[in-house]
Amino acid sequence: MSVLDVAKTLLRIHSNSDYDLVVFQFRLPRIVLGLLIGFALGVAGAVIQGVTRNGLADPGILGINAGAGMMVVLFMFALRGVVDLGGILSVLMKPMLGLAGGLAAAGLILLLSRRGGRIDPQRLILVGIALSLGFGAITLYMSLKMNPQDFEAAVVWLAGSIHSANWKYAMALLPWIVLMLPIVWLRADKLDVLQLEEVSAASLGLSVERERLVLLVGSVGLVAASVAVSGSIGFVGLIAPHIARRLVGLRHRRIIPVSGLVGMAMIAAGDFIGKTIFAPAELAVGIVISIIGVPYFVYLLIRART
Amino acid sequence: MQRKTILPTAILLMAPAVVAFIIMLSVLYGAKSIHAQTVWDAVFHFDRSSVDHQIVRSSRLPRAVGALLIGCFLAVSGALMQGVTRNYLASPSIMGVSDGSVFAVTLAMVWLPPAHSVSMIVVSLVGSAFGACVVFGLAWLIPKGMTPVKLAILGTIIGMFMNGVADAVATYNQVSQSVSFWYNARLYQMDPEMIKLSVPFAIVGLGLAVWLSKSITVLSLGEELSAGLGQRTAVVKLLSMLAVVLLTGVSVALAGKIAFVGLIVPHIARMLSGQDYRWIIPVSGVIGGLFLALCDVLARFVNYPFETPIGVVTALFGVPFFLYLIWTRGGGQRE
Repeated sequence: MSVLDVAKTLLRIHSNSDYDLVVFQFRLPRIVLGLLIGFALGVAGAVIQGVTRNGLADPGILGINAGAGMMVVLFMFALRGVVDLGGILSVLMKPMLGLAGGLAAAGLILLLSRRGGRIDPQRLILVGIALSLGFGAITLYMSLKMNPQDFEAAVVWLAGSIHSANWKYAMALLPWIVLMLPIVWLRADKLDVLQLEEVSAASLGLSVERERLVLLVGSVGLVAASVAVSGSIGFVGLIAPHIARRLVGLRHRRIIPVSGLVGMAMIAAGDFIGKTIFAPAELAVGIVISIIGVPYFVYLLIRART
Repeated sequence: MQRKTILPTAILLMAPAVVAFIIMLSVLYGAKSIHAQTVWDAVFHFDRSSVDHQIVRSSRLPRAVGALLIGCFLAVSGALMQGVTRNYLASPSIMGVSDGSVFAVTLAMVWLPPAHSVSMIVVSLVGSAFGACVVFGLAWLIPKGMTPVKLAILGTIIGMFMNGVADAVATYNQVSQSVSFWYNARLYQMDPEMIKLSVPFAIVGLGLAVWLSKSITVLSLGEELSAGLGQRTAVVKLLSMLAVVLLTGVSVALAGKIAFVGLIVPHIARMLSGQDYRWIIPVSGVIGGLFLALCDVLARFVNYPFETPIGVVTALFGVPFFLYLIWTRGGGQRE
């Protein structure tokens, strides 16, 4: 399709039903869903890095993706044959289950990485790596007990792809962004205070534990909803906040939205690369992003020397 | 240190009997239980027309032996890595060595089909060397890169990266079906020929490990101390990495990527036999083999009569142990 065709279709000039179908049923939902997911992951990554005060924290590395993914696969496994997995009810249910799994994972990680009443950032990451391996094993076990057709669907979904996007998924994700974004956005200033030592933050009149918990629930909600619709897409939540910090400095009121925008750009670009370079086959956007993201992340780690 | 020689000696002396017992267990039980008499006949009076004899000879026995060997190789690799890096999380699967191996095998399957068994082993060795070089090279470049946290993160993301590239290459050439076969461990399709071919590599690897064990004990006490005692630390490190690459590469060529054996077994060996790597390395080898062979037997019964991937069973033990290690050790470098 040419740019002109697309513009005409969108502006409803001489609309052609073939173009309508392609644009409104295939291309547009995919783009919109990609942008929503990118935004959710970027924001969540910024918040999680802020709460844990750790630039290496990422929903993927911490096992929150894996926890949410496990619950969704459990759901697909338990209800196979009972409900239509592509149906609207099931699509709307998945984010809630994902949230339950993601929160359970986050809770378990926090519980296990607490030492003497404080959360040790290094332990946090190691516990996350261990738990995500564990959740991965359970997910593998359950997905192998499914019948081949559902298994195929689960595997495609787990790899982190948005190529089967439709408006239902976008609708399932949108309310979570509308709900969770204000929660974290309104606490952006508190997140700045949380960057201080715990004692200083408390002496400024901040109830540290409560704010942390609320922020964490907000970001886990965002991650879980996007995992539920698109599978586990790593590295966006890790890298977007770093780019945002280098663009706009250290204030979270600026970092959070910019990180969301960077996330959007990453997913949009990753999806475009995945579907054009490998045509006619398609590469899942999660894989494209991990190939591009890892070298950049390693560069960040090396640069941290200075 | 002196006190802890009785237990490891006992373990090593009992090993042959326990190994024999596990092999028996592994051969007798599975989706189809086979009578002991039939097994005896299959080994000593082989009858080509009998289905049971065929199962024993071409499936059960190679599988039992393969599991023992692979467990042994991975555990020794892990022990070597933990000793040399003084990092309690060092192990082939976490530090990108296995991932490198899988990566190279995938590329070879795409570009050099149909790969011969020997060339597959060689490719796998090259890949594990590559994975180890990338992860440890980066760790060396990064400030505090050798701490458990940094190494674990590097290993994890480099693993993701290599899997991603392998996936992309496979998708591009439209062979992902046969490649995805490599991603998960598959002990149930052990090829007796591959086991025979891997023996020379493994002997070199294990020999190196035992020969180096004394130097590694010294090295594990600290680099300055080791250099002060006149040890050429660079040579010891290089040779140990060579042994790790040989052993891990062979294991991946045989059965794909199996996690956790290389991580947890050396810790168990250390609890049993103290700080001396002359004991830790052989004890790790024995326990690793037994552990993986037992996991393999369990894998047949978790979801009877279907096979469960061995990775799920090792994770069942591995994840809690991993968490326990993190809980007790935290993120610091020294124990």
